[in-house]
Amino acid sequence: MTEDTDFLYPFIEGGEQDAAGLLADLATSAAAKGATSAHLQAVTLADRDAAMTTLAQAIAERFNAGGRLFVFGNGGSATDAAGIVALFRTPPWGRALRARSLVADHAVLTALGNDVGFELVFSRQLIAYAREGDMALGLSTSGNSTNLLNAFAEARRRGLLTLGLAGSDGGQMAASSDVEHCLVVSSSSVHRIQETQTAMAFELWSRVQSLV
Amino acid sequence: LPEDLASASMTLARRFSSKATLWCWSPRWPQHAEHVAVEFVHPVIVGKRALPAVAVSDADPITALRTLVEAGDVLLVVATAMTTEVAAVLQRAPAWGIETIWLGSGPRPRFGLADHLLWFDDLGDEAAGNGTFVLAYHVLWELTHVCFEHPGLLAQPIADEECPDGHCLTCSDEGRVAEVVGLNGPFTLVRSAGETEEVDTTLVEPVAPGDLVLVHAGVALSRLDAEQV
Repeated sequence: MTEDTDFLYPFIEGGEQDAAGLLADLATSAAAKGATSAHLQAVTLADRDAAMTTLAQAIAERFNAGGRLFVFGNGGSATDAAGIVALFRTPPWGRALRARSLVADHAVLTALGNDVGFELVFSRQLIAYAREGDMALGLSTSGNSTNLLNAFAEARRRGLLTLGLAGSDGGQMAASSDVEHCLVVSSSSVHRIQETQTAMAFELWSRVQSLV
Repeated sequence: LPEDLASASMTLARRFSSKATLWCWSPRWPQHAEHVAVEFVHPVIVGKRALPAVAVSDADPITALRTLVEAGDVLLVVATAMTTEVAAVLQRAPAWGIETIWLGSGPRPRFGLADHLLWFDDLGDEAAGNGTFVLAYHVLWELTHVCFEHPGLLAQPIADEECPDGHCLTCSDEGRVAEVVGLNGPFTLVRSAGETEEVDTTLVEPVAPGDLVLVHAGVALSRLDAEQV
């Protein structure tokens, strides 16, 4: 591609010159992705409207009774979990509520990952932190993350309210009796799933605010 | 915004092709900086290349970035408001020789403070919590990887786009932005466009490390005041 003779053959791939053409294609693609994301979000929020009302009431009841919310996920979902925690704990408006991310403490996370295995990094923290009346919210785009499934099982044993945000067909999270409320975003794109999950969490937070 | 995303993606792809690192910083929402970094480092689509992107979450981002960034790198800032800190970081970009992308919402910052704006004019802080910013950087990642399918375009000189008429404010006789590094005898060491050089700061004394000055022909002509917020 970078040989000295490339200038003789501007039509081959390596000598492609039409930056304006590519930029136009990229802009069209960006607009289409935005529209797809907005549509998925609107459809999913409408479809899960009743479920979110029920869920918001359950969450608000727990907060009002002194319960705390633990949020967790892997990778991009870990950062989305941190975003949800920030929304609850340092809200743009309304009441600040007790929420914590189980991916925030590097020492705890690496100690557990190294000593007992990454599939137990969230469940072990719940053993240490959780009390009856608390809540566990896990995010996964596949619904199949082992460490989430283990955490939900531990949470249920300890009397926590268990909430899942999943994608695709919901995976094992949707099928598990350990996940009392599982909201599934029906899409095959990890990115589009995360965008709508974040929108759903924002909507849930907003509804909880009107009940606490 | 679609056009801005396209342009920023092309920039990122070109910079990555030249061995750049993408630095990500969000003063209020560090999780967004981390999300961008993990997208590039560990792609969700199998087969896409892993690219160097790093979230900076230091309490003092200026000191951290000053040490970490290299000329030719890119800094992505996620912030809705023009705080003193955001302005101070972005003002230093020409001195460090890096290109900047600012993802935000609400009233637009003044033209030129960042090289690329990815801006949601009609939204406020809620853009940080409701998935809007997530969508923006997901698309940025997706388009950047589309650009890698066009290697011929990535090899073109980067400077052409920044100075379309071969003349831009930061490299003309109006002076280049430089950051004071320290003293060396009668001269002052400054960093400009990522390179260290000696300049005469007689006209703007006293100067201290970290100060920003405008340099022309080896002389610091004036100080660059902190951006008014």
